[in-house]
Amino acid sequence: MLTLESVTKRFGGLTAVRAVSLEVRRGDLLGIIGPNGAGKTTLFNVIAGYYRPEEGRIVFEGREVTGLPAHAISRLGLTRTFQIVKPFGNLSVADNVMIGALTRLPRVRDARVEAERVIALCGLGPHAAARARALPIGLRKRLEVARALATRPRLLLLDEVMAGLNPSELTGIIDLVRRVHAEGVTLIVIEHVMAAMMRLAQRIVMLHHGEKIAEGTPAEIAHDRRVIDAYLGDEFNLAEA
Amino acid sequence: MTRLAPDRWAAIVLFVAAAATPLVVHDTFILDSVILILLWGSLSAAWNVAGGYAGQVSLGHAAFFGIGAYAAALMSARYAQSPWVGLGAGVVLSIGAGGMIGYLSNRLRGPYFALSTIAFAEVLKIVASRWRGFTAGSEGVPVPFRPGFWTLGLGHVAWLYLVLGLALVCYGLQVYLERSRVGYQLAGVREDEDAAEALGIATRRRKVQAVVVSAALTSMGGSLWAQYVGFVDPSHVFSIDLSVRFALNSIIGGMGTALGPFLGSLLITSLETYLRATFSGIQAGFTGIYLIIYGVVLILIVRFAPEGVTGIAARWRTRRDRAHA
Repeated sequence: MLTLESVTKRFGGLTAVRAVSLEVRRGDLLGIIGPNGAGKTTLFNVIAGYYRPEEGRIVFEGREVTGLPAHAISRLGLTRTFQIVKPFGNLSVADNVMIGALTRLPRVRDARVEAERVIALCGLGPHAAARARALPIGLRKRLEVARALATRPRLLLLDEVMAGLNPSELTGIIDLVRRVHAEGVTLIVIEHVMAAMMRLAQRIVMLHHGEKIAEGTPAEIAHDRRVIDAYLGDEFNLAEA
Repeated sequence: MTRLAPDRWAAIVLFVAAAATPLVVHDTFILDSVILILLWGSLSAAWNVAGGYAGQVSLGHAAFFGIGAYAAALMSARYAQSPWVGLGAGVVLSIGAGGMIGYLSNRLRGPYFALSTIAFAEVLKIVASRWRGFTAGSEGVPVPFRPGFWTLGLGHVAWLYLVLGLALVCYGLQVYLERSRVGYQLAGVREDEDAAEALGIATRRRKVQAVVVSAALTSMGGSLWAQYVGFVDPSHVFSIDLSVRFALNSIIGGMGTALGPFLGSLLITSLETYLRATFSGIQAGFTGIYLIIYGVVLILIVRFAPEGVTGIAARWRTRRDRAHA
């Protein structure tokens, strides 16, 4: 579904992403982990069309998307959420999600109906009329997911939708991610919450200094020497997770 | 039928009152005031399309106003053509200039964009002042008065209805922006461009479209103003005062609302007219005092009601609804 061929992104002398190759199949739930500054978000920015890579190719559903603008990639069915949430603060939750739905449904009435469905799916029903900026962070993270879902993506990049949430919010959003995946959306997830990642992901890719240093099942990753040294610090106990 | 929101009712009252004025009053001072309120309201609404709805705050919209004013004035004074032809030419030129400004909005954000629009209007002012052979330079261009609709030599009543037509077009466009796909997408662009891109909105194209439409309407207003007032000179039509007036009316009335620019224009234009009329008779040393009062009132409004009059009204309504609940 998505293929990265030796993608490199540099900022001046700094190589944020170095020759990363990746293969994502339809129905995957791929996790990306790595220490701060490893290039995870930069990789998302490159895939989603926010940065143009210096080298390499990105192919989505058989079509090269390298260098296409973000909105064009989103229309092809590949979109993302933002680590630092970017709600349309002065608009209601319903309007936020509806603007996403308008991409596929040009008529405002249809988009409004679709938005209601997505809002219910994401558990935002009671807050539909609230101003986005008034929501607490847990709900803003959900809104971020809801708005992206409204564009009916086939591949969705989730950038730390669990960061900064309390345990009950965390359980809720993990459920949501599962539901979205069950609806048939292929997911790539960046997350620092290892317990959640181990339970959610089918495969995990580890980035370090912009390079892919490991890839495998959660169990393989948890015992990988390089991952432990660079990131986990200790062998990750799957039984406790 | 869905219930009309209070601000829609207020707009209907405002426009009906304007339309009824000539039936009741024949005083040209009053008619002139209504014409100016509608004209400045329309121009502020045109500004609001880019500044309020799309979030591209320009302080150089006098550029488009001046292009329209000069196009109409020169077409009738220099080429003895109908000012309507000039109005059309002004719109074409402003679409081009608006495209350039819109392109700038894709390179520069926030204050940098606003500054570059000021520079743009200043450049046009200098061109119009120096290009004596064509624009008559800083002396300005008197517009010949030839009675008739085609030549735009009209009486006050006809002017009022003509400008009311422009006002209704501008108001209607804003209402459209509050309910249509384009309007919602522009709101997305205004709130957060990166997020809008992720949702498949071509943010750059949308911004250029908004600025171009805003420029075209501003140019039309400039053309009509030139014909109405009968004189065009560069230091006024390209002035920052005008650019600020467009923005200020919208801000005071309520940015990004359909009624706001007209409400702002009603307040500011009446205040200005009233103060000028009241204080102009006072002895020579006080001739400028209306400007001081005007300035103080503006500061007070911006200090205590930064969301504009429609914002205050909305706040009162919520407070009342809460008290009832």
